[in-house]
Amino acid sequence: MRSQIVAAALILALVPPALPFEARAASGALAHGGSYVIEPDATNATSAVGLWFRAPSAGYANDTPGIGRVAATAAAAATLESGVSLVSLVRSVGGTISIDVYPDIIGVTVVVPASATRRVVAAMSAAYFTPSITEDALKTAQRDAAVLLAQRLYSSDDLLHDALFAQLFAGGPAHQSTLPTAVPELVTMSTDAVAKYARQAFRSANATMTLAGHVDTTMLDAVTAGAPGTADSPFDSTLASPAHDASIEGKAAGIGLAWAGPPIADERAATALDFVSDYLFRDGSGVVSKGLDPTGDTYVSGQFITLHDPGVMLVTIGGSALDDARTRVLAAVRALETPLDAASFAAAREAFLYHLASDTQTPLEQSENLGWYSVEGSAGYAPSDAQGQYWKIAQSLDPQYVATVVKRYLDRPVVVRLTTAPAKEPSS
Amino acid sequence: MKLRIAAVLSLALCTMLCANARAQSAVVERDGGLTIIRQQDPAATLVHASFIIRAGLDRETLTQNGIAALTAQTVLKTPVDGVPLQDAIAAKGGSIAAFVDSNDVRFAIEALPQEADAVFALAQRGISAPSFTPKTVDAARVALTTQIAQNQQEALQVGLDMLYGTRASTANTGLPSLGIPASLAQLGPNDVQTFYRAYYRQGGSTISAVGRIDALAPQALANLASGLAPGSSTAVSVTLPKLEGTSRQLVAHRDIAAPWLIAQYPAPAVGNKDFGAMLVLAAFMQRTLADMAEVPGVVSPTFASRAIGALYQYDRSQPNLTLYVNGGIGNPNRAFGAALSIASILATTKLEGSIDEFKAQAAGDFSNGVSTLESRAWLAAVFVENGQSPDYVSQTLAAIAATNGSDLQRVARAYLGSPTIALVLPRDKQ
Repeated sequence: MRSQIVAAALILALVPPALPFEARAASGALAHGGSYVIEPDATNATSAVGLWFRAPSAGYANDTPGIGRVAATAAAAATLESGVSLVSLVRSVGGTISIDVYPDIIGVTVVVPASATRRVVAAMSAAYFTPSITEDALKTAQRDAAVLLAQRLYSSDDLLHDALFAQLFAGGPAHQSTLPTAVPELVTMSTDAVAKYARQAFRSANATMTLAGHVDTTMLDAVTAGAPGTADSPFDSTLASPAHDASIEGKAAGIGLAWAGPPIADERAATALDFVSDYLFRDGSGVVSKGLDPTGDTYVSGQFITLHDPGVMLVTIGGSALDDARTRVLAAVRALETPLDAASFAAAREAFLYHLASDTQTPLEQSENLGWYSVEGSAGYAPSDAQGQYWKIAQSLDPQYVATVVKRYLDRPVVVRLTTAPAKEPSS
Repeated sequence: MKLRIAAVLSLALCTMLCANARAQSAVVERDGGLTIIRQQDPAATLVHASFIIRAGLDRETLTQNGIAALTAQTVLKTPVDGVPLQDAIAAKGGSIAAFVDSNDVRFAIEALPQEADAVFALAQRGISAPSFTPKTVDAARVALTTQIAQNQQEALQVGLDMLYGTRASTANTGLPSLGIPASLAQLGPNDVQTFYRAYYRQGGSTISAVGRIDALAPQALANLASGLAPGSSTAVSVTLPKLEGTSRQLVAHRDIAAPWLIAQYPAPAVGNKDFGAMLVLAAFMQRTLADMAEVPGVVSPTFASRAIGALYQYDRSQPNLTLYVNGGIGNPNRAFGAALSIASILATTKLEGSIDEFKAQAAGDFSNGVSTLESRAWLAAVFVENGQSPDYVSQTLAAIAATNGSDLQRVARAYLGSPTIALVLPRDKQ
């Protein structure tokens, strides 16, 4: 080939020489309690740093929905010894922060240009490992949560998700929503109560720090806060027996379906249900999704949520053809009780593997993936590591096993119907 | 003393912005009219290649709107081993999609490393020998019509499409990129075949690859173009007399919940001396709009914070800065009007205070925007096609770091004079 290399190894002369980077994901203990997982990629322009905690979002007595979110937000908004809050620091370096609260775990992830990573690691560990919840920070967090609360009223999927979990679980954090039902419950949270929660939930020993993108282990030196100790055990919830169907009111109609699945420890069964949700429900390519009228407003969203014990297969349906879509979902699930033919299964499995890689290609996605799997069960099972356990299992799935798992777990779902509230009669 | 502190701060910011460019590397090869850009990323779990062919809107005549998109879709629907190319590639652990722009069509091909050669070979077969049967072309038309219907529900997209039309350098490049259902209905297999034979050429095409390129056979990238005819094509020049009038407002009605206000200004291309300053200006306008709209999201992104924005589309053939406000946040007029006023005032009033925070925001926005393999491949190609080296991160961060207040003002003066405004309004329900 008559080719001419016109530019090679274009590295600016003014920048310092590259530091050595690890080639693959690694994990270990933080110097002052807690653990870390790191997945470096030196070719990225950004880094993502996460802190993940096992913590019941409705409080340790499961009686204060929203306290987990308020505490996590207040810790990020509180002024640190450096004179600025974590949120302000992140914004000043052009980054973004996201706080993800689930019933049993809390994650905080920051994405910044790579050169700011060390400062962010230091600020995150200071903000969370030695939280200083002031009244101002609490007010900021309450305002933030109030906005999310108002938004949730317009999200059919969120309302169905919470209602399905409330029906499926009789007690424990998964029975509760991650936000309160009304603003008054938010504003009655006291500074003392939120600070106490933060000190217990966000202690370093209970944390997993995740780093992805343009990162290396020397950045962990910036963690100076914390104290040794042990992490909390997972906060599991009690299944309702039996779980009953329900109906709730919202701004738009919808239907939700949920099945209790395997625990994360049953990695093969959990992976099989991930495969099922990808095969049936993935937007654009799922068998059910593709069967819907592409010009209509009806949609189906489905996922297997890999919780510690048990996981949950959750499907939400919105739009005007709800019952037709529900029939399609149940028929498609039933059909999978019969093993797919070898060629169809092989094609679906390859597509599943590609989707795994595609969905975990950015530093943010990798960091969140590592964090979730670390605190729910095992970092070694995180799908973002293509050399890890998850991929070995996914590649070994076969039609008969998937059909067996479908038969075992996806029998009768809990159903929640979301209806629109009738218009109020004008008062005379 | 003050000056000295400012200098130290600037140096620190430059160090911060430039330091993360250290591991960016890319290789550019040219073979005849074909350009290949390689960015090896050993930590990636995929191989991506964007194959850019000079067969975009500027090759359409005014009576052929949609032919570029229909031809690209026909490639995706071409049967390969009995199933459409798109499905055949999905079954091998990959994906292929097509995008039509003013000057080109881009095929985005992605694969798992262990299947990359097989996936790229399938893509090469489909791109080199599309099926022009009525059945295949019909399937492509249905896919496009569905996509157009979906796009019509996206107010921002509707507004952008209108605005692109006003800024196009030739009449055909301002046409809707997917065509419209009525024009697509007029196009048949013969039209698609004729368009393909005329414009799917090796000359002027670019293949930009990123990720686990080492998993590919040595010639796999070049082979993508090997089935295309040699030589290059030229654009169809279509000019229309300018309409007389002074209005710079466009209005459309759609089935949306709230009005959208969208303003567009011309903007510099990558490589232009104003590129870095315009990125900083976009960050400044984004912050101004958020402040004016009193976006309440303190920490978490909210509906309101996503409802306003400043979008610098430097990768388009007609680069632009677009400001938008979704009326769903309440009364959008105040925020929008204030933002336009500030854009105008900025050009004439001396800027006080530091711009470092906006520079950091610009650097963060740019860096965050290039985190997927597809965006990395696309930007490398855009930079090379604009006569730059493919190390887009280093160049951009350096350009941002070098921007000062005077640059910001100069760029505001040069570009933010007279916006074109699109209003996308809810349909009257009566």
